[in-house]
Parts: sequence; structure tokens; C-alpha cells
Amino acid sequence: MSGVVERPGARTAVGGALFVRRALIALTVIGILGTAFELATERHWNDLEQLIPWAALVVLAAATVLVVLPGGRGVTAGRVLAVLVLAASVYGVITHVLVNLDAGVLDHRYAETWDSLPLLQRWWYAVTKTVGPAPTLAPGMLGQAALLLLLATVAGPAPRTTGTDEVR
Amino acid sequence: MPLTTRVIPLCAAALIALGVAGCGSDPEPSAGSSSAPAPASSSSAAGSPATDSAGAAPTTATTVSANTASEEEIAAALDDAGVSNADRWAAEVVEYRPYPADDPDLTKLRDNLAKYNPGEETTDKIVSALTP
Repeated sequence: MSGVVERPGARTAVGGALFVRRALIALTVIGILGTAFELATERHWNDLEQLIPWAALVVLAAATVLVVLPGGRGVTAGRVLAVLVLAASVYGVITHVLVNLDAGVLDHRYAETWDSLPLLQRWWYAVTKTVGPAPTLAPGMLGQAALLLLLATVAGPAPRTTGTDEVR
Repeated sequence: MPLTTRVIPLCAAALIALGVAGCGSDPEPSAGSSSAPAPASSSSAAGSPATDSAGAAPTTATTVSANTASEEEIAAALDDAGVSNADRWAAEVVEYRPYPADDPDLTKLRDNLAKYNPGEETTDKIVSALTP
């Protein structure tokens, strides 16, 4: 046995953790595909800034591949990329709010009064998409998928522990 | 290593990334890639009707191509048509290019402008100043 000690139930626990890890990665992949579909249906490519989420999707896909590499060699790089995607997601949410805020004056209901509205009210209208065309939290899909991938890197054993389960 | 000791640094890194992203965000809205589209081809067709449903429209309407006119030319045409925030709307017109040449009513543009809730009168004024 060479120092390997089996605790009762340890194998079940590791198996469960492995299942959770695989489920998180599967959800990440679903998130990538869902986001790509949503971006395509929105024709989200009208200018350079609208290509950012597409680039983030590619990065997240690469991160996913790195995380599932055998031996856990790409986990650290995968985490870094996932954090970058998370940052891009937050940037997207902020940008969407600002786009809506900027579009308030174009809404015929507020065209005359927009500039005189209290700042907080304008922000609220922008965040809730009362004005403007941009779905505020839509970029959050990317961030959620990135978070799922990050969780997958801490949940369950690394891929290298497929054979014997070592319990310290 | 306990799970929590691995999660905490990860969460901290994520929070730092969020903070950095928030600070570095570009406050410029998506005004479209206004990188000077194809110049000219602006047709000041004074003879074309370009009937405006609103009575406040100017007498001589200037129409320009939504596909090929520059953003400045579109803004000028929209301004002539009595559209407020003409430069902002011109940016939106440029952003949603191209428009089908066989659709004089610019349905695609109307659909995209509707996302901003400009009201029917403003939409009609914008479209009246443009040709595909």
C-alpha cells in the first residue's frame, strides 16, 4: 500500500467530487454555447467593442480545454484565463449600463426631461433597461460560465487522480 | 489542502479582477464604429418627396444614403429634417449598416431604432431623410 490509507467512504466522496467537477465543466460548456447563440441572434458584431464577448468566448473555451487537460497541467493557466473572462463580463455589464444611460435622451418619453432627472433615477432607468437598448446583465452569462469553470478547478480531484485515490 | 483555503484566494483574485475591470471601463457608449464610412454619394435630392408626417418638417428635405453617406452628412440631413439629437441618431444609422437596397422604407433601420423607443414621429423623420 506504500503509505496509502483508505478511509471508509473516501472513495465515494472522491467520486462525488469528481462528478461535481465534471458537471461544472459541462455547465461551462453549455454556458459558452448558449452565449454564442445569444450573441449570434443579437448580431453582436456591429463594431469592435461588440466583438469583445466573442473574444472572451474563445478565451473561455481555451480555458476549459486547459482545465480538462490530463495531469492538471493547465489548471493554473485555465484559472487565469477564466478570471480574464470574468473581468470582461463585468466590463460588459458596465458598458451596457452606460449605453443605456447614454440612450436615455433618445427615448421619446424622456427626451425633454432626461437631463433634468436626478442622477440616481437616470442610473436606475439605465440599469433596469427602462431606457436604452442593451440588456444590462446579459454579459453576466460569460461571467457565470467563467465562475463555474473556476469552481471546477477547486471542486474534486485533479484529472491525474483517476486510478488510486490517495487520502492523506 | 482544505477546500476553503483554495477557494478564498480564488475569490480574492476574482474580486481584484472585477475592480480592475470596473476602473478601466470605457465610458464611451457604443456609438458605433464611426470610422468614416464610405464618403460622398450623398444625394441631396431636393426633388424627392421625402414626405414628413410631422408638420414641423422643413420645406426642402435633404435625403442622403443610409448606406454610403458619412456620419456627418447623415447628421446634417437629420438636422435638416428636424430630428433632435441628430448626431446621435446618425451614429446609430451608421452602426446598423448595411441596409437592403430594395427596401426604401428602411425597415431594418426602423427595427433597430425601435430599441431606443424614439417614438413614431422621430422614426418617421429619420427615415424621411434617408434612402437605402
